[in-house]
Amino acid sequence: MVLALWEAGTRSFDVPLYILPPPSAVLLALRRTWTLQAQHLAITAATTFVGLALALVAGVGLALAAVYVRAIRAVILPALAAFNGIPKVAIAPLFVIWFGLGDEPKVLLAFLMGLFPIFVSAAAGLGEIEPDYLDLARLSGGSERRIFWKVRLMHALPYLTDALKVAFPLALVGSVVGEFIGGNRGIGYLILSAQFNLDTPLVFACLIGITLLTSAATGFVVWLENRWLVWRPSRRREGAAAAPSGLSGA
Amino acid sequence: MTSAPPAIHVAHLSKRFETGPTLDDVSFEVGSREFVTIVGPSGCGKSTTLRIVAGLVGRSSGTVHVAGREVTGPISQAAMVFQSPVLLPWRRVDENILFPAEMRGDPPDRYRDRASELIALAGLGGFERRYPHELSGGMQQRAALCRALLLDPALLLMDEPFGALDVLTREHMDFELQRVWSSTTSAVLLVTHSISEAVLLSDRVIVMSPRPGRIHAVVDVDLPRPRTRSTFEDARFAELAGRVRAHLEARWSG
Repeated sequence: MVLALWEAGTRSFDVPLYILPPPSAVLLALRRTWTLQAQHLAITAATTFVGLALALVAGVGLALAAVYVRAIRAVILPALAAFNGIPKVAIAPLFVIWFGLGDEPKVLLAFLMGLFPIFVSAAAGLGEIEPDYLDLARLSGGSERRIFWKVRLMHALPYLTDALKVAFPLALVGSVVGEFIGGNRGIGYLILSAQFNLDTPLVFACLIGITLLTSAATGFVVWLENRWLVWRPSRRREGAAAAPSGLSGA
Repeated sequence: MTSAPPAIHVAHLSKRFETGPTLDDVSFEVGSREFVTIVGPSGCGKSTTLRIVAGLVGRSSGTVHVAGREVTGPISQAAMVFQSPVLLPWRRVDENILFPAEMRGDPPDRYRDRASELIALAGLGGFERRYPHELSGGMQQRAALCRALLLDPALLLMDEPFGALDVLTREHMDFELQRVWSSTTSAVLLVTHSISEAVLLSDRVIVMSPRPGRIHAVVDVDLPRPRTRSTFEDARFAELAGRVRAHLEARWSG
């Protein structure tokens, strides 16, 4: 219905194409530039995934340090939070000056954007475990190493998947911003050049492309969760409904 | 039977937390196949005592020995059942039961037979491939009990294991516990609020006083085993329960 209003409104008021294109024009642009978009989107997706993967490694690594090394624990969260507060848009040009117009600044930006949410969730997942679980493991003779692999890591997985749902769009923004600042590839570059050409339908079409990419990535994470993490707390009620109760099943 | 060292030997145990003295000069023993229960008002330090015996909490003074060896850290001869089942949600019931073996570094296959035995004994047959969240609270506690017994511990420590269950299920579980325990050689130290549970299950009931916890009285329970529902009707049962209650109430008002 919104689309219908949008279409009717722009046409009847004769709104110029470059200000607000009607949905039909957007769809036309989408069809016309599909391959072009896909190419650039793939590039942006690549830098996003690489940056995200690095953020995952670094985030989990820092979280481990925070959980196991007391001296670091107090320092690391405020430090990362403060660092995270710096608008990446402000320092992005600096990256281009340092690393050039290639993919490196984009990966770096994606990495920086995704790092904080992953760190916070990993630290919670690895550290915020009911003490009874740890007591139980220790009483059974478990070393800290075994406790990590068999208890902490599994416990942290739902936290990490949740973090990925948040971190992916952020990392994507990082890549796109990097492309705005400099370079000649990626969906951000495409949007920028479309704007220079006043090709607003293409801009909108690109936004749709980005949305589709984010939905696909989030959908994938959700699928992973439903396949492998059925036991996570939010899902437990569904199983309980089928369980026996009462004396005979007590 | 008397040649084995006592399962627990506690002498002049005191514990002080930042909030103040929690345990004061506690001494008691649990024989190698005895079932001993500690009852006392909330906050009297009975759970703390249990954890000190387990080596999970340090002591301020006194000595604690389990199976003849001094306790300096989490001990391997003891297993514990908590008030909540504490089963790993990402593992099936049978995998949870094998958890202590994995923690010890032993190959779980070695214990699969024992696990199956315990599963059958505890009445969990058919549920071993389910996940914890698919089981009721009582069944989860049975699984926790199986897990505790996997390595044939010399000592079973239980911290209000059935406190979270409804009264009927709890009573049922008390009898199940007695049944399962009688087929093992473990000693048991159980902490509970329930006087009837204590008298039903134990060879001896230790009554603790409110904080700082001291041993106020010990009641020997000489009821014949195995104890059944008809034990509840026994005059001797009522007498012993009454005695425990009297000790508890004496300290409360004192």
